[in-house]
Amino acid sequence: MTDTAKKVNTTTTPKKAVPKVPEVLLKKRKLYADLKARRLRAQVQAAKHKKYKRLVIFKRAERYNSEYRKKERDLIRLKRSAKVRGNYHVEAEPSLAFVIRIRGIRGVHPRVKKVLRLFRLRQINNGVFVKLNKATIQMLRIAEPYIAWGYPNLKSVRELIYKRGFGKVNKQRIPLSDNSVIEKSLGKQHIICMEDLVHEIFNVGENFKKASNFLWPFKLNNPKGGWRKKANHFADGGDFGNREQYINRLLRKMV
Amino acid sequence: MAASRPLVSVYDEKGQSTGKSVVLPAVFRAPIRTDIVNFVHDQMRRNKRQARAVSDKAGEQTSAQSWGTGRAVARIPRVRGGGTHRSGQGAFGNMCRGGRMYAPLKVWRKWHRKINLKQRRYALVSAIAASGVPSLVLAKGHSIETVPEIPLVLTDKIQDLKKTKEAVGVLRKIGAWSDILKVYSSKHTRAGKGKMRNRRTVMKRGPVIIYDKDNGVKKAFRNVPGVSLLNVERLNLLRMAPGGHVGRFVIWTESAFKKLDALYGTWSKKSQLKTDFNLPQPIMTNSDLGRLLKAFEIQSVLRAPIKRQARRKVKKNPLKNIGLMSRLNPYAAVQKRQTLLTQLKGRRTGRTAESKAAARKERTHASLKTKRLSGVNFVKTTKTQKVGDATKTTTTTTKTKTSVATKSS
Repeated sequence: MTDTAKKVNTTTTPKKAVPKVPEVLLKKRKLYADLKARRLRAQVQAAKHKKYKRLVIFKRAERYNSEYRKKERDLIRLKRSAKVRGNYHVEAEPSLAFVIRIRGIRGVHPRVKKVLRLFRLRQINNGVFVKLNKATIQMLRIAEPYIAWGYPNLKSVRELIYKRGFGKVNKQRIPLSDNSVIEKSLGKQHIICMEDLVHEIFNVGENFKKASNFLWPFKLNNPKGGWRKKANHFADGGDFGNREQYINRLLRKMV
Repeated sequence: MAASRPLVSVYDEKGQSTGKSVVLPAVFRAPIRTDIVNFVHDQMRRNKRQARAVSDKAGEQTSAQSWGTGRAVARIPRVRGGGTHRSGQGAFGNMCRGGRMYAPLKVWRKWHRKINLKQRRYALVSAIAASGVPSLVLAKGHSIETVPEIPLVLTDKIQDLKKTKEAVGVLRKIGAWSDILKVYSSKHTRAGKGKMRNRRTVMKRGPVIIYDKDNGVKKAFRNVPGVSLLNVERLNLLRMAPGGHVGRFVIWTESAFKKLDALYGTWSKKSQLKTDFNLPQPIMTNSDLGRLLKAFEIQSVLRAPIKRQARRKVKKNPLKNIGLMSRLNPYAAVQKRQTLLTQLKGRRTGRTAESKAAARKERTHASLKTKRLSGVNFVKTTKTQKVGDATKTTTTTTKTKTSVATKSS
C-alpha cells in the first residue's frame, strides 16, 4: 500500500551499487522514451510524406491547367469549324451556377425563405455554388427576386475560393489557409488542395455536393460601383435573376 | 485517508512514554465532513436557548382612535382625552413612539432543533477523527508544538487526580501548558451587551480531557482555564468542535481511548455500545490525490496536455500574398512565370493576346466583307491565303467588278 523505493535489480555487476529509483519513475521514463521515439519516427515520416504530397499537388495543378486550356480551345475550335461549314455548334447548357442573395431578411415570403435557406443563403450578399439541374433551376425560379445568379468562369471560381474561401470544419468557419484543412475534410473524396477544390467545383464533378457543402457560404462585399436596380430583373435593367455570363462582372466587383 | 491503524503510545503523567501502546481506534479514520459538523453544531447550539419575548400588552394599553381625514393630521390612531402630553399622540403603530413593535415576539418561537441521530453521530465521529490530525488541530489554533504525540493518550492515573495543582503539573509535563497560556492571554472583555448580562469576559478554548471514569479528574481540571472535560460515553459536539470548526486539542485517558472501538465500531464490526451504528463509509476509498493522479491507470487514459493552444490567425489573401499562394498551390509560381513571360514578349513584339484577337477579328470581318461585296458577280471564288502577317488575295474575275484589294494589317 505505501510506496517504497524499489531497488533496480542488476545481476551483472554485484560490486557497483545501483542507485535506488522508485518504480513509478522508471515506468514514467520508459513511457516517455517510447513516446519520444514514436514521435521522432512520425516526424520523419510526415516530412517525407509532405514532400511527396507537394509533388502530387503540383502535378495535379499542372494537369488541371492544361485541362482548362484544352476545354477552352476545344470550344473555340468546335465553334469555328462549325461556322466554316455553315453549321452551328450548340454548346452544353451550363451545369454550374453561382447564386448571390441580393435582398435582406425582412418581409420574405415563406416559400422564398425556405428556398433561400435550402441554398444556405441566409444573409444578404451571401453566395453559393449551385449545380444546375431541373430541380435547382426551379428552386432558383421561386427565389428569383431575391437572388442574382449566373454562370461563373474559372477566374471567378478561383478568386472566390482563394480570397473568400472558408471551410466548414467541425461546424466552424475555418479559413482555407492551408491545404491540410481541405485534406482533413475532403481527403476521402481525393480533394487534397485548393486546386482540387477549384477543379471539383468548376467541373461539377462527382463530389461536387461534398465540395460545395464543405465551402461555407461566401460572404461578399457590396459591388464596387453599385447595383443597377435591385428591384428589377436583370433583363429589365435591374439586378435580380439569371444574368448568365454577366455574373462574372458582378463578381469582380463583389469579391 | 489511509485505512491503516498504527499504534499510539501511552504517556504517563510525567510526560514520559510508558512502554504500552494502543491500536488507533477506527474512528480516527472516519471521513472528516466539516459541512456536516458545521450544520449539526449550528443546530445543536440552538438547544440551550431560553425563550424571550415582548409582553403582549406592550404598546396596546391605550384606547386610541384615529381622528380620520379632514383634520390636517396623519391618520394614525391617536390617544383620546386631554390634559396631558400623551393626549393626541399617535399610538398602536410600530412607527409610533410608545407603540407596539412590529410583529411582537412570541415565546412559542421554535427555539430548539431536532437533529437526526445519524447526522449527530456522523458529526461527532468527524470531529473525533479531525482531533487526530495534527495539522487540523494546529489550524484550529492550539499550541501543540511541545506535545509528544497526536492523538495524546495518558494513563488512567489521570482519572484519579484530586488536586488542581497536580492537574497543572501534568499539563506542564505533557507539553500542553502552552495551550493553556494561550487561553490566559486571550481573556478579554466581551464586545456587546453581554457585558452587562453577566457574560463579561470571554476566552479561547484549550484542550479537552476525555476520561472513562471520573475519580476526581473533573474537579481537578475544572478550574484550569480553557479546559473542558468529557466522559467518553457522552461526547459533546459543542465541545469537540467548538464554533463548528473541527480539530480541538484532545487529551485521552487510556481506558477512554480503548473504549472508542466499542463505542463507534470499526467498519468490520458494529458498535457494541450504540444501537445499530457503524462508522460512515467514505466516498473515496483512496483519497491520496497525488498518487492517484500519477497512477498508470489514470495517466493512460488522459489525453495529451495542450501545451501550446492554437490561436486564431488572420486570413491572408493568397491572390496577393505570394508566400501563401505558393504554399497552397505549388504550381502557381510556374503559372505566374508563364503569364509574365508572355506579357513581356507581347510588350516587346507588340503582339499581345488582345492584339492577336483583334487581328483575327479584322481578318474575319474583311473576309466576310469581301464575300458580301463580291457576291453573285464572281465566277471564280476568292481565295485568301495567309502569308505571315500580310494577306494576299488572288482573285480571278471576268466581270466588271474588280477585285477589291484587301487591307493588310
